[in-house]
Amino acid sequence: MGGETVQFLGALAAVVALVAITYVLGFRLSGRISSIEEAAELFRLAPGGFEPASIALDEKGEAAIARDGVGRIALLIQHGSQFVVRELPDGTPIRAVEGRLEIEPVPAARLRIGDDAGDWATTDIDANSG
Amino acid sequence: MPFDPVAIAIPVFVVLILAELLWLRRKGERHGYEWRDTGTSLAIGLGSTVAGALTGGVTAALLVWLHTLSPLSIGWAWWAWPLCFVLDDLAYYVFHRSAHRVRWFWASHVNHHSSQHYNLSTALRQSWTGFFALSFVFRMPLALIGFEPGMILVCAGLNLVYQFWIHTEAVKRMPPWFEAVMNTPSHHRVHHAVNPRYLDRNFAGALIIWDRLFGTFAPEDDTDRIRYGIVSQLGTFNVFYAVFHEWIAIARDMWRAPWRHKLSYLLRAPGWSHDGSRETSDLIRERWQRTQKDRHGS
Ligand SMILES: [Zn+2]
Ligand SMILES: [Zn+2]
Repeated sequence: MGGETVQFLGALAAVVALVAITYVLGFRLSGRISSIEEAAELFRLAPGGFEPASIALDEKGEAAIARDGVGRIALLIQHGSQFVVRELPDGTPIRAVEGRLEIEPVPAARLRIGDDAGDWATTDIDANSG
Repeated sequence: MPFDPVAIAIPVFVVLILAELLWLRRKGERHGYEWRDTGTSLAIGLGSTVAGALTGGVTAALLVWLHTLSPLSIGWAWWAWPLCFVLDDLAYYVFHRSAHRVRWFWASHVNHHSSQHYNLSTALRQSWTGFFALSFVFRMPLALIGFEPGMILVCAGLNLVYQFWIHTEAVKRMPPWFEAVMNTPSHHRVHHAVNPRYLDRNFAGALIIWDRLFGTFAPEDDTDRIRYGIVSQLGTFNVFYAVFHEWIAIARDMWRAPWRHKLSYLLRAPGWSHDGSRETSDLIRERWQRTQKDRHGS
């Protein structure tokens, strides 16, 4: 084996070891949104801007949904211990099922928001039981 | 090259990452790292060393060739070292500013910014496509001035090694004189922020003086929590997506755009669009300033 191959394999081993150590030391938490204020701050960072008019936070802070002044809907979705904001295309069906929101194109968004779930549903009323 | 500072520094990088992990754990700040994010950062770092090994010879040969064209030959005098380091750092500033203001160069640099975390592992998210993007042209003037190619490459390596330690939240502020002259964790946190006030600020490599001189400096404001990453956060840990996504986006935009706008998608600022449907950093900052005014009613 050439010197460069040895160097590469050594670096590869170090990478694997460091990632394993990071995992074992407990750096594998999921993101939590602590408050409506924090959610608002994150929504405002959306590309193109998004000024939330109303926000609903998942019970455990694992996601959030917001509506702006002109009726656009955006989500905060967990990405590791952080969040990414994603705006939903107009007319995306949102179903409310037992206090939970189901948004088909974004299965990662699991929003348990309780009694208010019905307020966020966009499919017809019969299909919703929020 | 007399020696390769980056290769020598790699074991030190590993030890410092371990130290930062243990320090964060002791403080109970377990959001400071995320194991998959760390994996992506380190894999990109490893890949960049391979890309560097494949293309480094061409860069060196180009420097040697340009050096032969130079009317001057500065040689290996001791005073040439600090001079070369400072001028190379200026070249880095020009490169780095271009890397944020010209989409072609951004496509190669963006992966350095794609982590939403800011820790020592983030420093290792280095470009794979820098050579393809012709980023090396920024260092060519030094060889034309007459600096030894080996000296230029060592200075470039030392600069990269310097930039490692500033990728941390563990250091709040260095002494004022140091913050005034050198790039520091505080200055570089600003550079990695997506908060509108901080976009496209602090392009420094080792010396912050260039930002202060050319009007691109922004101090860190402790009252505004920094959010890291890029304006359109990736939302994936996929290494190949992180490395190539902007190149793919450029190709898609150029394919779809009317003929007279095609080149603009390559050469204008990231976020530019011919129909005004997207925002550049400047537009984001302007929008933010307007909403700040509305909120505080001035
Ligand atoms: Zn940058
Ligand atoms: Zn950086």
